[in-house]
Amino acid sequence: MFPRHDDPGAHRTGTARFAVVGNPENRRVALFDRAVRAAGLPAPRVVPWAHVLRTGGAGFAGDELVRLDSPGENAEVDRLLRGAEDPTRVEGSGRWYASLMSALRGLRGGIRLDDTDELAVLFDKRRCHAVLAGADVPVPDSPTSGADAAPVRGWADVRALMREHRMPRLFVKPAHGSSASGVLAIESAGGGRIRATTSVELVPEGRLFNSLRVRRYHDERQIAAIVDTLAPDGLHLERWLPKGSQRGRAADLRVVVVAGRATHAVVRTSASPLTNLHLGGRRGDLDVARAAVESAGARWTDVLGVCERAAACFPRTLCVGVDLLPAVGWRRVAVGEVNAFGDLLPRLTGLPGSGAEGLDTYAAQVAAALARHTPPHHPHDQHHPHHPHENETGTAHALA
Amino acid sequence: MTIGDHLHVFHRLPVHPFPGPDERRDLPEPDGYAWRVSVDVYETEEEWTAAFARFLETVDTTRVRALVVGAWGEAYDSDSGPVIESLLAARDRLPALRAVFLGDMVMEESEISWIQQTDVTPLLTGFPDLAELGVRGGSDLLFPALRHTGLRRLTIEAGGLPAEVVRGVGASDLPALEHLDLWLGTPDYGGDSQVADLEPVLSGDRLPRLRHLALRNSEIQDAVAAAVASAPVVARLETLDLSMGVLTDEGAAALLGGQPLTHLKKLDLHHHYISEPLQDRIRQTLEPAGVEVDLDRGDADDDHGADRRYVAVGE
Repeated sequence: MFPRHDDPGAHRTGTARFAVVGNPENRRVALFDRAVRAAGLPAPRVVPWAHVLRTGGAGFAGDELVRLDSPGENAEVDRLLRGAEDPTRVEGSGRWYASLMSALRGLRGGIRLDDTDELAVLFDKRRCHAVLAGADVPVPDSPTSGADAAPVRGWADVRALMREHRMPRLFVKPAHGSSASGVLAIESAGGGRIRATTSVELVPEGRLFNSLRVRRYHDERQIAAIVDTLAPDGLHLERWLPKGSQRGRAADLRVVVVAGRATHAVVRTSASPLTNLHLGGRRGDLDVARAAVESAGARWTDVLGVCERAAACFPRTLCVGVDLLPAVGWRRVAVGEVNAFGDLLPRLTGLPGSGAEGLDTYAAQVAAALARHTPPHHPHDQHHPHHPHENETGTAHALA
Repeated sequence: MTIGDHLHVFHRLPVHPFPGPDERRDLPEPDGYAWRVSVDVYETEEEWTAAFARFLETVDTTRVRALVVGAWGEAYDSDSGPVIESLLAARDRLPALRAVFLGDMVMEESEISWIQQTDVTPLLTGFPDLAELGVRGGSDLLFPALRHTGLRRLTIEAGGLPAEVVRGVGASDLPALEHLDLWLGTPDYGGDSQVADLEPVLSGDRLPRLRHLALRNSEIQDAVAAAVASAPVVARLETLDLSMGVLTDEGAAALLGGQPLTHLKKLDLHHHYISEPLQDRIRQTLEPAGVEVDLDRGDADDDHGADRRYVAVGE
């Protein structure tokens, strides 16, 4: 599946060239650059997001393989996307989304490794949830996705949905958020008892900041103030699926799927309901997770299969990072999110049997992109890279 | 810290989950495991009572020695009453039952202090041969004083244990009790007991066989330690556990200045706020006498001052 640069097949890729739209100073770009050069190719042309956003687009040569990377972690780019002066502010994800989609429509030419329409879904948790549910991918219930989606204009609407859908514990997420920004894990019970767990810091004037510390709010007025402030950006609600644990900490998995195939996976564990590494999450043990799945009577290949089915909803996107939620007991799983830029797992090599053994997520994508988009030189050498899930994952059409 | 793991071992038996309604799995020997009966909080396929009825039909319950009751639904909104009723109604079918744990839920299922309990003593009066009872969650928990001649181990885990419960345990006649473990918690979550409420336990008058005493996870751990330092019951203990609470130099000094503790096999103080010099003194006093001392600080982080000291398990 993934020709290495020392494979004979790699020679036919001598003319391939990559471009990457990213923030040039960001380590994501550096990691991709290294993977391209390690494949024996010239360094990718870096097109800064700041340039794309200021000029309203960018052009690419017809044979350039164009990768988009995260526009995050750059104050100027953040200002151009969100209009926010302070990158630690939570508000503005609605404008961020509109600006990003507009910028994507300004990208011309090249061979894209993703797809603007698919990205429009991936960056809207409500639409993404609906697409996954429509494909029978297990997802937590959500009253805010699909045809009869409810509008969420503020905390009063959230409260109403919690009642109507018998949802005393739920996650409230900005529809266009990332990295747990603006996410609240809310639990409620009779007698007016309520608590929100979040990284949002509510300052006295009512503005919201992302904090590196997980906070607990017990005062419903404060929770309402946060949700009311976030609501204009769009909110996605989903039932809180109680997660399985590993060594006393709640666990989920990030599974990277490249060209339809689950290639890389890590376990993240946390003492709080939020497992993000910058909020105190830690890497867990994948072997222990696999053993937990198997001792619960489920199959690990099925677990990876769920991730591949989620990724198959986005057949024109080379790589996605699937957040997989194991239910308490590890017998069932559901997909929490699918991330377009979910491949930042430095130094992690591929799963055994995935075809990406020994490759990090970037090298796996370079190899997969070359396999997909580089025509063979000699007629007798003509064959499709093939793996057993090809039809199931819907990648076959992209191989021609 | 929160409760993150289900019990793996209970009553010295490995815990085996009783399968859900749609699972087809071979069942192990009934007497070799503690059976965990639980329902899915998220997708309730059946009520807990239905799961337990299935358990009674499927497993030879005359050989079942230990039961772990896991989630019985949305335990923050429904109490353990129906669970207790089901267990009592099945009394005749559980002649070998010696141990019950009520409420083995992790934070992802329900915060410990949100678990709605009820009067749990009918389990003791209904099962006179019960040797071990464990309870998680202090909300609405009741423990009126009783006499039970079989109970050897009693554990109540809570983010806040109501004073009524502490007093009820203290006023109970438990002549066989060897192991008592109370998580006292904080007033924020209903833990309103005072040291005076512990006096009947500390005197040991009604606990002649007590060998292991844990009074832990307390916001007033210093005061508990000071009371323990002169408590008559301590002389008969092998293990003293004052862990998981807000134990500072004040409590540590009281322990060092009180009765000798050198007869203990173990002193557990993990998760504490004791300074290095006092930790050293505790070790120097007890370790030469062969006492195992646990002074693991855990996630008790003392960098933020006295107003940011917490018990290990609160909400």
